[in-house]
Amino acid sequence: MTAFVARRLLLLPLVALGVSALIFLLLQFLTPAMRASLYIHDPKQLNALPDLIRKYHLDQPVYVQYWDWLVQVAHGDLGWSETAREPVAAAIRGYFPATLELALYAFGLILVFGVWLGTQSAVHKDQALDQVSRFTSISGASLPTFVWGLLLLMIFYGHFGWFPPGRLSLNADLYVRSGAFHPYTGLMTVDALLNGQVWLFWDAAKHLILPVATLTYYLTAVLVRITRSSMLETLRTDYVRTARAKGLAERVIIDKHARRNALIPVITLGSLLFVGLLSGVVITETVFNYPGIGQWGVNASQQLDIPAVTGFALIFAGLLVISNLCADVMYAIVDPRIRLQ
Amino acid sequence: MKVRGIALVLALMVGVLALGTGARGAGAPVKNPDTFVKLTAGDPESLDPAYQYDTTSYEIVYPNTYETLIEYDGSVLSRYQPILATTVPSLANGLISKDGLTYTFPIRKGVKFHDGSTMTPEDVRYSMLRFMLQDRDGGPSWLLLTPLLGRDSTRDKDKIAVNFADAAKTVTVQGDNVVFHLAHPYGAFLSIVAAWSFVMPKAWAAAHGDWDGQAGTWQKFNNPKLQDRYAFDHIDGTGPFKLQQWDRQAKQVILVRHDQYWRKPARLARVVIKTVNEFTTRRLQLQQGDADLIQVDRPDQSKVEGMAGVTIRDGFPQLVVQVLHFNFKIDATGNPDVGSGKLDGNGIPPDFFTDVHVRRGFAYAFDYAAFIRDGYKGKAEQPNGPIINGLLGYDPTAPKYTHDPAKATAEFKEAWGGKLWDTGFKFTTTYNTGNVVRQVGAQILKDSIESLNPKFKVDIRNLQWSSFLQNTNAHKGTFYALGWAVDYPDPDDFAQPFLGSNGDYPKRNSYSNPQADALIKQAAETTDPAKRTAMYRQLTKIAYNDVPGLYVAQPVGFFVMRSWVRGWYYNAVLGGVDYYPISKE
Amino acid sequence: MNAVHARPVALPAARRPRVGETAWQRTLRRFRSNPLSVLGAGLVAFFVVMALFAPFLAHPTERNPYMIPHSGYASDPRPPGPGHPFGTTEEQFDLFYGIVWGARTAFMVALSVVATAVAIALALGSVSGFYGGRADEIVMRVTDVFLAFPGLILTVVIVAVLGQSVRNAVIAIAVVEWPTYTRLLRGEFLRVRDMEYVQAARALGSGDFRVIARHMIPNAIYPLLILASLNMGGIVITFAALGFLGLGAPPGYADWGQLVSLSHNWIAGTAGDPFTYWYTLIVPGTAIFLFVLGWNLLGDAFRDIFDPRLQGSR
Repeated sequence: MTAFVARRLLLLPLVALGVSALIFLLLQFLTPAMRASLYIHDPKQLNALPDLIRKYHLDQPVYVQYWDWLVQVAHGDLGWSETAREPVAAAIRGYFPATLELALYAFGLILVFGVWLGTQSAVHKDQALDQVSRFTSISGASLPTFVWGLLLLMIFYGHFGWFPPGRLSLNADLYVRSGAFHPYTGLMTVDALLNGQVWLFWDAAKHLILPVATLTYYLTAVLVRITRSSMLETLRTDYVRTARAKGLAERVIIDKHARRNALIPVITLGSLLFVGLLSGVVITETVFNYPGIGQWGVNASQQLDIPAVTGFALIFAGLLVISNLCADVMYAIVDPRIRLQ
Repeated sequence: MKVRGIALVLALMVGVLALGTGARGAGAPVKNPDTFVKLTAGDPESLDPAYQYDTTSYEIVYPNTYETLIEYDGSVLSRYQPILATTVPSLANGLISKDGLTYTFPIRKGVKFHDGSTMTPEDVRYSMLRFMLQDRDGGPSWLLLTPLLGRDSTRDKDKIAVNFADAAKTVTVQGDNVVFHLAHPYGAFLSIVAAWSFVMPKAWAAAHGDWDGQAGTWQKFNNPKLQDRYAFDHIDGTGPFKLQQWDRQAKQVILVRHDQYWRKPARLARVVIKTVNEFTTRRLQLQQGDADLIQVDRPDQSKVEGMAGVTIRDGFPQLVVQVLHFNFKIDATGNPDVGSGKLDGNGIPPDFFTDVHVRRGFAYAFDYAAFIRDGYKGKAEQPNGPIINGLLGYDPTAPKYTHDPAKATAEFKEAWGGKLWDTGFKFTTTYNTGNVVRQVGAQILKDSIESLNPKFKVDIRNLQWSSFLQNTNAHKGTFYALGWAVDYPDPDDFAQPFLGSNGDYPKRNSYSNPQADALIKQAAETTDPAKRTAMYRQLTKIAYNDVPGLYVAQPVGFFVMRSWVRGWYYNAVLGGVDYYPISKE
Repeated sequence: MNAVHARPVALPAARRPRVGETAWQRTLRRFRSNPLSVLGAGLVAFFVVMALFAPFLAHPTERNPYMIPHSGYASDPRPPGPGHPFGTTEEQFDLFYGIVWGARTAFMVALSVVATAVAIALALGSVSGFYGGRADEIVMRVTDVFLAFPGLILTVVIVAVLGQSVRNAVIAIAVVEWPTYTRLLRGEFLRVRDMEYVQAARALGSGDFRVIARHMIPNAIYPLLILASLNMGGIVITFAALGFLGLGAPPGYADWGQLVSLSHNWIAGTAGDPFTYWYTLIVPGTAIFLFVLGWNLLGDAFRDIFDPRLQGSR
């Protein structure tokens, strides 16, 4: 097992190289003047354009710029992000926990609801519950996230005033920035409890409800469909039929045998889902002004903040490799027939 | 059973969380009475007063944390009040020399910086020299460099072209006074000082890795990158507020009251300036009373009208002008916007706009009234040139172009030796993505021109800022919209960028008018307001006759805040709010 | 709580083979028996008709028929009324026109992306699956790199670099989609490569290209078609998301996502009534929803019918 894990972890630098090369390849399409837009925001500064291009070495050939960047990264420096006005590493360290918190809650809910609903739907196939869940899940996959998010915001904040956008309310934010608060994990809900501030926990939770609801809807719909079809396949297999023939209770069959095997494709999708979540947060964070890595990533991309986009790409690539690895390990746990090669 | 249990728990959670919230209307008690929350759409670039050159940074820097030697008298831009100086120099009190080359500022005593140290004239001198010599690319240093050193940059290409001795002698300390020695007389110098002469302590800067004020070291500190200076995200000024924190993750700047301020301390204990890009979010937070003042663009006005507990203050003419520029020499290589590149009805030649009849045709064709009505909801006025209302030398009687299809047709019929009318033309006009007003302007332009002659075709293309820069740098733009906002409230700040051959826009558009150049130079160097007025009126006439661009709008500002905000006033130069007199009750 | 039968499930009436029926007729019957499939087909057909007859339903007035006509430039949207059956959105763009021609845009974008992705998949996936070895490794690593990137971010970066236009958005989305198609086709090729008829064709001396084109692709392509039909809706949603972020179609272009993006400043209504401008969001949002729903249902139906693993069951 350890050899397998180690070998897979070796993939990390290779994928990182590939991803960063892809980004720098895109730079071929950008002229130095376009890249200079990162530093010029106002027509008054137009005169400085040629000087800025020289100052930031934007007119170097792309492979030179890539090499310089590689050397820099080898020294542990991911560069400076103009859009975040911070070093790239610091920006990632700052934004990532917020997105992680959002994604974890959403992920948990999606898995629980998705698997449960998908299983029930398969077991009660073609009945009322199944039809309703199928239609809900299909319609959930048909509604754009931002439309759904905006609607939620309009109703629950605009009309009722219950769940505000952002991550914390003003007072909570000021308390968190003061010295009295110790950030242990970076996850506001967890840290609030660790600091013994229950009011802060509720404040953070209040801000999480709408973004989590928005994120959850679409992906739950997808997971329900996949669980359902996977579960249906499993229920028809030989060993399930055998178990039934043996007279085992239906409940036992589902819980002990069918679910375990139906979970295999679900695990695959679970890992892809997690990374898909990190992509889905982009829209959600924009709609709810949630200060996470998705919102920053989009801003950085739109303003052509290349160091930020590249640093950001590396993190995601790393996450994907790790989550694939976790999935493979979980396969081995769930199904002893699968050998780790 | 399980399902019901889960549903019950969820409902309980929702109920608990929803407690203690609700919409806030009129007559509701003031939320956070000693903290002011402002929501803007942009975020600050740098807090270093010598580096920053954008509105959001400017709001924080001036006049809330850093102060200048003199400041404007409330809303009135033509009068000054002494702030870090004790007297406003003038010819009458002799603090301005008769030849207009020397300005003496007696410096106030007993003023404490945020770090507790006391301000000295040496700090003032250091700050002025630092402002000039830091000279980062695309920065504001030219504002002091031009009048004091007679050049707009310390560098020529990338090489330093200024020596310290020359710079050092432009600002000197004489006893309790700081004296400025100008290169040429400059009538607008006081207004530049009022807006840009920020003072920071030399010892603090030097202790934190910045220039120590010595002759031998200044070149190392020239042209820094954003993150190179401590002052980028730290503030030490004399202003009524000091910086508690600039949290770039949370996109907020928190200012706290400076209790040792040299005047009575501010009434607010804390000011939070937060960046919220989504208008709907800003507006909802204002509605709930979580924000006290939010940035609202004119097209969004209807969404905030009638909001309970909210006051809208409207009708403030801004020192901003929107202009549609003609490019006199278009680079046609690989340029999709010029069509065929020839005068054959399917394109325009690179010198298309050099014919004054073409330009006048456009000037008469554009529907200014519709633009102001629909782009600004009627809240703008049509300028008659670059010298806009509120500036010295503004001429309300000067003629303007009006929407006159008959005159437009007549001008076009004379264009290009009479050929244009029968041949027609086609080109693409561009505007910056995200700017609704310019989008409207582009539409109006297209409709106005195309309605005159079916052979006239105008297409519209929107460009991201990066593409726009690329376009402009390569002189590929054809006819495009860009504006200008005030640096200091003097007509020279507006005349030069639009009419001077070395001005920003004429350089981009290959426009030059020697007569205008001479007038601009003369008017800048004269101190007599009556003489200057006459010269700027002449310049307005030149702009009218030569029509290098269409001056389409001078917008009127409106501001949206909770009704419990007191002490707010409008000043056309400020980037945002002056928080010193503000209170909430 | 449990309705599963104790004995093996009998085929439902619709699936029992009838005497003298061709495969095609059987397929059709199965299709018609499921109400959701019929609904999906109906929705897609509705939009196809809308797209085809766009010039007649909404008469174009601009040189470029994809630019929505606008009466005036006032920024506030107007509710449905005479002359504007669906109302107007910001800057007076007519919503009815936008919806009708938006159907064309939706099909154009979705079909372009799918066509590009399928073309690349056919080229790369077949080579990869047929020859295996080195070629396969390279293709797999390249797809790994592309898949390591969250889709929306990569699309945003590409459009930001290339510039905002419909064409660039199509390119960006295709760049994100092609790896999935390629891997799918490669997987199918691996499965089909060892089948008897392929072995036979090779033994008979057919050239590689012939074997791929005539024998393998026709048998491997079904999952690709299923993926394509399921993807049509997703592509339109991604395109709409790009429009929401300000990348994608230019303002005034007849595109549903663009219309939703024009609405986002208005969805909270005025101070007194949060639902004043409901139509700016609901009208284009419903169009997207129904289009994607139709394709999702249709894709499901295709999968039910064509997926060989599910034959003789369900």
